[in-house]
Amino acid sequence: MTPKMLLLPVLLPAVLAVALLLLPRALRLVRDALAVAGAGVLLYYGFLFFSVKDLRYAVPWLGMGIDFDLRLYHFSSFILLALAGFLFLIAVYATVKMKDAPRGREFMAYVFLTAAFANGAALANNFVPLVFFWEGLLVTLYGMIAIGGRPTSGRTAVKALLIAGFCDFSLILGVGLLWSVAGTATMSEIAVEPTGLAAAAFVLMMIGAAGKAGAMPFHTWIPDAAVDAPVTFMAFLPAAFEKLLGIYLLARVSLDFFKLRPGGAMSVLLMIVGAATIVLAVLMALVQKDLKRLLSYHAVSQVGYMILGIGTAVPVGIAGGVFHMINHAMYKSGLFLSAGSVEHRAGTTELKKLGGLRRDMPLTALGFVVCALAISGVWPLNGFVSKEMVFHGALETGYTVFAVAAWIGAIFTFASFLKAGHSVFFGERTTDVPEVKESPAAIVLPILVLAALCVLFGVYNKLPLDRLITPVVAPHAEAGAHLDFTGHALDLFNVVALISVGCLVLAFLIHRHGFLKGGRKAYLASEPFHGLPGIRQAYDLAEKRVFDPYEQGVKALQGLSLALYKAVDRPIDFVFEKAVTAAGEKFTGILKKAHNGHYANYLAWCLAGLVILAGAIGLLAK
Amino acid sequence: MIILFVVLPLVVAGLLPLAGKASKRLLPDLLANATLLFLVAYAAVAGRALIADGPVLQQTTWLGEALGIRLVLDGFSLFMLVVVALVGLAASLFSIDYMEHYGAKGNFYALYLVMIAGMNGLVLASDLFAVYVFLEVAAVASYALVAYGLGRDELEAAFKYLMLSVVASAFLVGGIAVVYGMTGGLDFAAVAMALKELNAGPALAVASALFLLGFGLKAALIPFHAWLPDAHPSAPAPISAVLSGLLIKVSGVYALTRVFLNVFGLTPALSTVLLWLGAVSAVAAAFLALGQKDIKRMLAYSSISQVGYVVLAIGVGTPLGIAGGLFHLFNHALAKGLLFLTSGSVQRATGTRDLDAMGGLAKRMPVTAATNLVGALSIAGVPPLNGFWSKLIIIVALVQAGHPVFAAVAVLASVLTLWYYLLMQRKAFFGRLNETWAAVREAPFWMTASTVLLALLCVGIGILFASTVTTWVRPAADVLADGIHAVAGSWGF
Repeated sequence: MTPKMLLLPVLLPAVLAVALLLLPRALRLVRDALAVAGAGVLLYYGFLFFSVKDLRYAVPWLGMGIDFDLRLYHFSSFILLALAGFLFLIAVYATVKMKDAPRGREFMAYVFLTAAFANGAALANNFVPLVFFWEGLLVTLYGMIAIGGRPTSGRTAVKALLIAGFCDFSLILGVGLLWSVAGTATMSEIAVEPTGLAAAAFVLMMIGAAGKAGAMPFHTWIPDAAVDAPVTFMAFLPAAFEKLLGIYLLARVSLDFFKLRPGGAMSVLLMIVGAATIVLAVLMALVQKDLKRLLSYHAVSQVGYMILGIGTAVPVGIAGGVFHMINHAMYKSGLFLSAGSVEHRAGTTELKKLGGLRRDMPLTALGFVVCALAISGVWPLNGFVSKEMVFHGALETGYTVFAVAAWIGAIFTFASFLKAGHSVFFGERTTDVPEVKESPAAIVLPILVLAALCVLFGVYNKLPLDRLITPVVAPHAEAGAHLDFTGHALDLFNVVALISVGCLVLAFLIHRHGFLKGGRKAYLASEPFHGLPGIRQAYDLAEKRVFDPYEQGVKALQGLSLALYKAVDRPIDFVFEKAVTAAGEKFTGILKKAHNGHYANYLAWCLAGLVILAGAIGLLAK
Repeated sequence: MIILFVVLPLVVAGLLPLAGKASKRLLPDLLANATLLFLVAYAAVAGRALIADGPVLQQTTWLGEALGIRLVLDGFSLFMLVVVALVGLAASLFSIDYMEHYGAKGNFYALYLVMIAGMNGLVLASDLFAVYVFLEVAAVASYALVAYGLGRDELEAAFKYLMLSVVASAFLVGGIAVVYGMTGGLDFAAVAMALKELNAGPALAVASALFLLGFGLKAALIPFHAWLPDAHPSAPAPISAVLSGLLIKVSGVYALTRVFLNVFGLTPALSTVLLWLGAVSAVAAAFLALGQKDIKRMLAYSSISQVGYVVLAIGVGTPLGIAGGLFHLFNHALAKGLLFLTSGSVQRATGTRDLDAMGGLAKRMPVTAATNLVGALSIAGVPPLNGFWSKLIIIVALVQAGHPVFAAVAVLASVLTLWYYLLMQRKAFFGRLNETWAAVREAPFWMTASTVLLALLCVGIGILFASTVTTWVRPAADVLADGIHAVAGSWGF
């Protein structure tokens, strides 16, 4: 394995993307086979790279310390493997799900282009290539939403582009600052204290990384995209790829580039962002009436656990955050894919119209249930393990409030998934949806694979923790520290775990109360909570997007531009339109009148000119 | 063999009427274009090698006897030869299709090549009288070419042009006489040397004024410009292109620059006069262009304005200013040639030159519209086209030489230029298609090909402006910046 091989994860998907785009519609089977085979090759190399773990490919590029520098080490090889795994599952899934989509060909090409940029970003060891690949993701993000085929898809695509663009802009500013502070753009050589200018660089880069992962308040495009973009896109980017990359970069920023200290200002800042994201997004998720929108708010909420975990800056917290990243990518991807499977057969994802699908679609139901239990943190699934680690980490810092926020998040997560699962797969069949069959294998298999992985990573958590997570955290722990996170992984009999279980029981009671109160209609289970005084008003404002910084920002800018137009532009325009043109035309008119076509006139001008010139030269020469 | 630049077109011009009898189209087209293609190749490829070791001198002989005609090729002449050959070739390619319906192509090309020979001879001349002779050769051919359509307007314009040009020639001869009286010689080198010795105040002022009237009238500087807006639009389009693109520059700007900078030497007084002449022409003609409804008249006034720009830059007298002026001369020759050719395409397609009657032609004539836009933006000085760089150099030179007011005037002229060219674009090519022209078709192959050639040159030179300046403009500007030493030192026979 030569260093040049590192170009493969970048170049192969890029070439495939072009090939997929060029293949005509008639050759759809060839296209699908090529996509799946290409993703398979990447997955194979993902394992190969994971076994190698140490490789570096650096060539001088633009000078001034800007090299094309790719570095494979345990963390990036872990991310590379995860990216390849999700790419493979999504490629298989899309062969069926995107078959009849109007612009399925472009979608496949975007998927592989995204993979190329994502792999490049994960491997980059120099800020300039990193930013290059990172910005490339912006293009495909826009493209994949824009081809959603709904009337508002274009608008949502612009929204996503602007929000992500803002985050990326912050990242670039942060990179610039850090570059000047550290004096090098080579990522593996940077380690600074987050004080002064470096603190500003940290905050900016944190916005870039957390924004990519979809943390509040940079999340507002995700629920919109859930409606406007293909559901495969949701399982691909916001659920899996963006979480992996965002949290990867956040971990690099807070562990490698800056030395985060437990209890330090930057650490607390991260924990606040994480806790706020958990609670606020899960409250939004609870009252959603559409399965995809509900899932999209959870995609936001769960980021909070990862940021909170990394923000604790204690080994168990960091490990929990990173572990939660991979767990979340698996079950959230599985959940979105299940939602897609339901949509594929039933034609809708509105909770009200669905019900009792477990008999029609048993495999999809099984996959959904496992993933839903995993995201809710039910013993012994993977979500339980990583959430426990985050709770322990939060308590270890001494800020109990953040652990409490995380528990509140756990209550409402479970409550909302009880509502969602109950509405869709259990209860009575509704008349809105006719008899349906289970989805084809290419749709069901990826869901079941992800569900199985959720079980595996929970029951046999030693495997991911020892092989994937510990090497990431090890260099940042104090020498000789105890780094066995498996100790209390599935231990139910300690205070933290008992409180978590208590939260789950509470969630069940909330759901049951709402279910009975709503006339045994599961989709109304959140109504009692929704109806509490004060809460309803807050939700109504949220539905009107009063809390959406993007929408408010757009409104403010529209006002500002209107004011500028009226107060500045029109007056200036008046000066040009009326004063300048009128003066110009007047002067032109005078000159034109003088040119009356009379030869004698013209000759007279010449002679007058001669006299004047002779006089002028004579006078000036003296 | 620099005499080839004069002799070849003259000889071919002699053969062309005969060729026209043998073959109505093919042979004249082929002969004329091959001649110009050869001139382009000779000037652009062989030229730089010829003058690598300083100016090339050629004494013409007749049966072994030395004649009074001596030709000199230096950096400045070579630069002009390239310009003449390039624009000349584009216009003659355009004529292949455009002159179809005028008939007697052989005669047309004969006159055309005589004009080219006259311009080449003027550029290579090394004494004042030869300048006068070649100037007349080119001018006489151009009178006939302006009148070539034989319509009422054409004849009137040609007559007016002739009458004012005759005045110019008369005053030129007067000026030459005064110089001869003062110095006893006509050779550039001899005159330059003698004038340096001689402290001729008022007489030199009179001679300078006479030359300024003569050359200024040829260059159409205000107030000697009034013939041009009549003459140039009336000629067939390729002739308009050559008159505006080349003739006013060769017999006006080149002659003026050569005489005042290399022979008389640029005194502060002359410099001031040139700056004023240039500035007034640049601004006033721009305003006049703004008021035109006839596309070719607008272009004609624009030529006056841009020549003013060139004279303004050369009047600065610093090496940078001269380089900027010459570069602008080059760029303007290409772009104005291009614009007149496209206006010919439009006139041929629609039968009108009235801007108000056009509209939306871009939909029917996309190539013509696109090339016209390139030419217009180039002259208006929009980056990254060639015109932008030359205007930038001129403005920088004006500021550096301590003429901020003239620099502001140059910017003003530039803004006005953009104004009327955008007006032209809007009225002729953009907007809704005028229903009258629904059946209009794109111009034939050679017409579009020649405009595309010039448009590509405009864009290419804009992008490669640095190497163009160092390869072609800098050697020419060096000759001028040397002042009288350039001719006095090395031109002795």
